[in-house]
Amino acid sequence: MAASKFRRPGWSRRAQYSLFFSFVALAAGLALGLILLAISVVAPRTFDGLRGAATDATRPAAEALAAIGSTVNGVFTGAGNYWDAASQNAELKEQRDRLRRQALAAAALERENEQLKAALELRERVVETIAAGRIIGSSHDSVRRFAVLSAGRASGVRNGMPVRSPDGLLGRIVATGAFSSRVLLISDRSAIVPARILRTGEPVIARGMGDGNVDLRPLEVGRNPFEPGDIIVTSGTGGLYPPRLPVARVVRLDDDGAVAVPLATPAQSSIALVEAPYEPVALADYDAPLEEAEATLPPDALQ
Amino acid sequence: MARRARPRPRPAGFAQGPRPFAEIVPAASIALASLLVAILPIVSTKGWWPDAGFIMLLGWRMHRSDPFPNWWAIPLGLLNDLLAMHPIGLSVVTFCFALLAIDIVDARKLGRSWVTEWLLAALLILVAEFLQWWVAAIQGAAMPLGALWPPVAITVFAFPIVSELVAWLDRYRLRKTGV
Repeated sequence: MAASKFRRPGWSRRAQYSLFFSFVALAAGLALGLILLAISVVAPRTFDGLRGAATDATRPAAEALAAIGSTVNGVFTGAGNYWDAASQNAELKEQRDRLRRQALAAAALERENEQLKAALELRERVVETIAAGRIIGSSHDSVRRFAVLSAGRASGVRNGMPVRSPDGLLGRIVATGAFSSRVLLISDRSAIVPARILRTGEPVIARGMGDGNVDLRPLEVGRNPFEPGDIIVTSGTGGLYPPRLPVARVVRLDDDGAVAVPLATPAQSSIALVEAPYEPVALADYDAPLEEAEATLPPDALQ
Repeated sequence: MARRARPRPRPAGFAQGPRPFAEIVPAASIALASLLVAILPIVSTKGWWPDAGFIMLLGWRMHRSDPFPNWWAIPLGLLNDLLAMHPIGLSVVTFCFALLAIDIVDARKLGRSWVTEWLLAALLILVAEFLQWWVAAIQGAAMPLGALWPPVAITVFAFPIVSELVAWLDRYRLRKTGV
């Protein structure tokens, strides 16, 4: 431990006062910090401008580092791909042929679906992509799971908009800067996504676990509807996320739910698309994630 | 008119005393630590990285009693909050609390040894991580308490490394060799 500052600093009044002031400054700082913390807990929107400015300021450095990181990563995976190229090639060809047959079947089904919908006069809502960016960073030393996206208000990004990657749902915007924004990932504890099991269509609730995984609960209590390998997609309930967007894959069952891994891993410099809310009214109020998520449940879930 | 004698160039290695920027090195290194962890080019899925700004602050305060005026903890904490995406005010509280606690322990004179330093640092890290966990729980992101231990352990074991770095920086800024 360093030498104490609290030995009497001689007869100088000035030295004594400055020692006392340093003590007062810490107490005042503690009080100020508590007030700021209380404000950011009670009214999380208050410091949005400040938080947006912070991600804007670190964006150039973060983007440059992200580019370097993805290059290094690419070199290693590239070298890995050459390792077993011949047998990989044969496997991939076989897989390609299988997928082509499946794609043909899917195209035929889609065509038929269109015709049926036209016959029923159902109107399909088209989801508009607002902006495209890259994930350039994340929270590293907290229990919250945030990511930083390299697109902001200048490209039309607003608070609450859903963010997806080509693989599936990533999360939603919680703070915007001019050229960058903060994304609440679906693996965060406070992120709740109304979803359904793709295999059976049964409605479930997906909630982040904070460690990169997602916790699934069925809305119907009593039996466990999940099977390992099940794909979970958004249900579209609540109107924020578009329906049938892939969310996660079940890896493990527990007593009445399951643990799933998100399909869209927010890896460094992966492309992320910001979309307009599926129903424009869904962005009315975004201050209370928990209550909002409860409101998105179908009425029978709350009984 | 007599010309003033031009100072002769000194031989290399003759310059002594603190470097001109010695005053700001502690605060700058704390801010830089916050920044470097914030812009790491990865997406961490568990959030187990140490709170680099906080342990840098602890390292400096353990190493010297006056690395910077105490009130600098407020802007440094605010900067750490903004960069590390904590709720605004969290690091202001933990930074000020840590400095206050160390001041009080200093006055009581526990004695000088790396064990007491490390113990005190570990205690402060535990308090800071717990506060962070608690604020997250209030904000609707309640983790099980067991999830607190890995980041606490990692940060506690990162502290000696950071304090070694601080000692090196201190020698560099004051141009002391062999201390």
